[in-house]
Amino acid sequence: MTDAFHNGALQLSPAVGYTALVLVALSTVLIGIYGLRISRTTGDFYVASRTVRPWWNASAIGGEYLSAASFLGVAGLILISGVDALWFPIGYTAGYLMLLLFVAAPLRRSGAYTIPDFAQARLDSLLVRRVTSMLVVVVGWLYIVPQLHGAALTVRITTGLPSWVGPLAVVVVVCLSVVTGGMRSITFVQAFQYWLKLTALAVPVAFILFRLGADGRPITAGGSAFTADLNTTAEASLYGTISLVIALLFGTLGLPHVLVRFYTNPDGASARRTTLIVLGLLSVFYLFPTVYGILGRIHTPELAAEGSADATVLLLPGRIFDGMTGDVLSALVTAGAFAAFLSTTSGLVVSLAGVVSQEFFQGSVAGFRRAALLSALIPLVIALLTDSLALAGSVGSVFAFTASTICPLLLLGIWWRGLTDAGAIAGMLAGAVLCGGAIAVTALIGPGTGDDRVWLGQPALWTVPTAFITMVVVSRATAGRKPASASRVLARLHTPEPR
Amino acid sequence: MIPGPSGPPRRIRVTAPRTAARATGASFPVAREMAEQSEVGQLFVESLIRSQLRLALVVAGGFLVILIGIPVLLAVFPDINGVTILTVPIPWLLLGLGIYPLVIGCAVLYVRSASRNERHFQDLVDDD
Repeated sequence: MTDAFHNGALQLSPAVGYTALVLVALSTVLIGIYGLRISRTTGDFYVASRTVRPWWNASAIGGEYLSAASFLGVAGLILISGVDALWFPIGYTAGYLMLLLFVAAPLRRSGAYTIPDFAQARLDSLLVRRVTSMLVVVVGWLYIVPQLHGAALTVRITTGLPSWVGPLAVVVVVCLSVVTGGMRSITFVQAFQYWLKLTALAVPVAFILFRLGADGRPITAGGSAFTADLNTTAEASLYGTISLVIALLFGTLGLPHVLVRFYTNPDGASARRTTLIVLGLLSVFYLFPTVYGILGRIHTPELAAEGSADATVLLLPGRIFDGMTGDVLSALVTAGAFAAFLSTTSGLVVSLAGVVSQEFFQGSVAGFRRAALLSALIPLVIALLTDSLALAGSVGSVFAFTASTICPLLLLGIWWRGLTDAGAIAGMLAGAVLCGGAIAVTALIGPGTGDDRVWLGQPALWTVPTAFITMVVVSRATAGRKPASASRVLARLHTPEPR
Repeated sequence: MIPGPSGPPRRIRVTAPRTAARATGASFPVAREMAEQSEVGQLFVESLIRSQLRLALVVAGGFLVILIGIPVLLAVFPDINGVTILTVPIPWLLLGLGIYPLVIGCAVLYVRSASRNERHFQDLVDDD
C-alpha cells in the first residue's frame, strides 16, 4: 500500500500538513508546560493528586481513548466493509458500559495505581504482580504500534515526507510532554485533545453536508452509499460479529491507559459519574466517523481498491471543496488525526511508565521519566520495522488479547473471593497463549477467506471463556492458597467511602 | 521528613509498590473498619456485594441480549436489510444511531440503582 501514497493525487498540499502538525505539537507542549507549573508533588505527577473533576477527567479519558483506530480507522473500515464496520464504534463505546458496571467504582476504591498494584493488593503475591506487569507492558506496546502506523500514514499523505517522520515526531512530542509534566499536565492536554478531535471532525462534516445540500446533490446518492459494492473484505459471519463484540466490550476494561485514569477520581461515586460522561462523549464522537465513512463511499470510493481506506477522513474535505476552504478544512482534520496519535500514545506511555518504573526503578520521578522513554522507544522500533494493516482491525486484536488476560483477573478479583494467585496466573497465561497464538498465526498466514479461518482471526469468543474457566478451576483446586485478606479487600472495594 | 500541621502541601514520596498499596488504607476510619469486621457488619457487606453484582449482571445481560439480538434478527429475517427510512437502510440506522441511546440509558439506570444500594448500606452501618 505504500506506493499509493507517493502519487500526487493522494496528497494534500504540504503547507497545509505542516501547519496543522506544528500547531498541534506546539499547543500540546504549551499546555503541558502550563500544567507543569501547577504539578508540584509526586502525587500530582502520578495521579494528578486524585483531584481531577469528573468533566475534566471524562474529557481526558475521551481524549486518550479516541485513537488512530477511531479517528481514521472507523471511517476507513466503513468504506471497505459497509455496515459490518459499525460494530467497531459500538464495541469501543459499550466497552465503557462494562467498565462502569463491573470495574469503575471498586477499582477506584482499591487505591491501587496500576493493574499490577491491584493484582498484588488483592492476591498478596509478588509473582502475580510480575506476570500482570509483563502482560500490561505487552498490551501497551501492541497498542502504541498502530498509533505510530497511523502517524506514518498521516504525515506521508499530508506533507509528502517519508514514513518514518510521523512515528518519530509523535514519540518526540509525547516524551517531551510526559517527561516534563506527568499526569497532572497530561490531564489538561488530553481533555483539550478530546474537544480538538471532535471539532476537527464535526466542523468539516457540517461544511460538507451544507455544501452538498446547497448544490442539491443527494447526500446518500439515493441510498447507493449504503448498497455500493466496494467491499474488499469478506462479509462478516454471525460468529465473527459476536466474537468481535465480545473482544471490544471486555477488552476495554483491561486497557492500561483507561484504568490509570480512574485513580485520578476522588472517590468511587465520582468514578461512576466520570464513566457516565465518557459514554456521552464517545456516543457523540462516533457519529462523525460514521458520516465520513458513508460520504466516502460516494466521494472517495477509489481508496477502497487502493487499500488506503484509512485516509478517507483526511482526503474527503479536499474532494468536496477546492482552494482556501478545502485547505483549511483539510488542515483541521489533519490536526485532529495528529492529536489522536499524540493523546493515545502519551496516555499509554504514562501508564506503562507507571508500571515499568515501579517494577524496576523504585517508583521515583526520575525512574518514571526513564521508564517513559523506554515505553515509547520500543514501540517506535517495532513500528518502523513493520508495515501497517487496517488500523481498526489491528487495534481490535489488542482488545481480544486484553479481554483474554487482564479482564478475567479484574472481574474475578473484584467480584469473587475464591480467586487464588495460582488461578489468576494460570488463567492469564492460558488466555495469553491461546489469544496471542491465534493473532500471531493469523498475522503469519494472512487473514482467511470466508468462514473457515474466522475462528482464528476473531479468537475472543473461545479464548475469553477459556481464560475465565481456567482461572476458576485452578482457583478451586488451590483453594488453600486463598489470601487471608480476601474478605477485607473485597469489603473495601465495594463499601462506599464514609460520608 | 515530618510534615507540619499546616502550610503548603507536603512533598509525598511515592515508594516501592508493597508499601504503597498498604499505605492508602489509612484513610479508612478505624470505627468503620471494626463495624465491617463484626459479624453483622460482614453480613451487611456481603449483601451489598451480592446486590451490586446482581444489578451489574442484570444490566449487562439485558444490554447483551439486545445487542447480540440485532445480528441474529438480521440473519433470521434478511428482508429487514431492504427496508429504508429516507434512503437509509434499517440496519445502518440501528447500528449507527440506535445503539447509543440504549448504552446511555443502561448506564444511567445502573448508576442510579448502584448509588441507591450504597446509600442503603450506609444507613444500615451508621445506625448500627
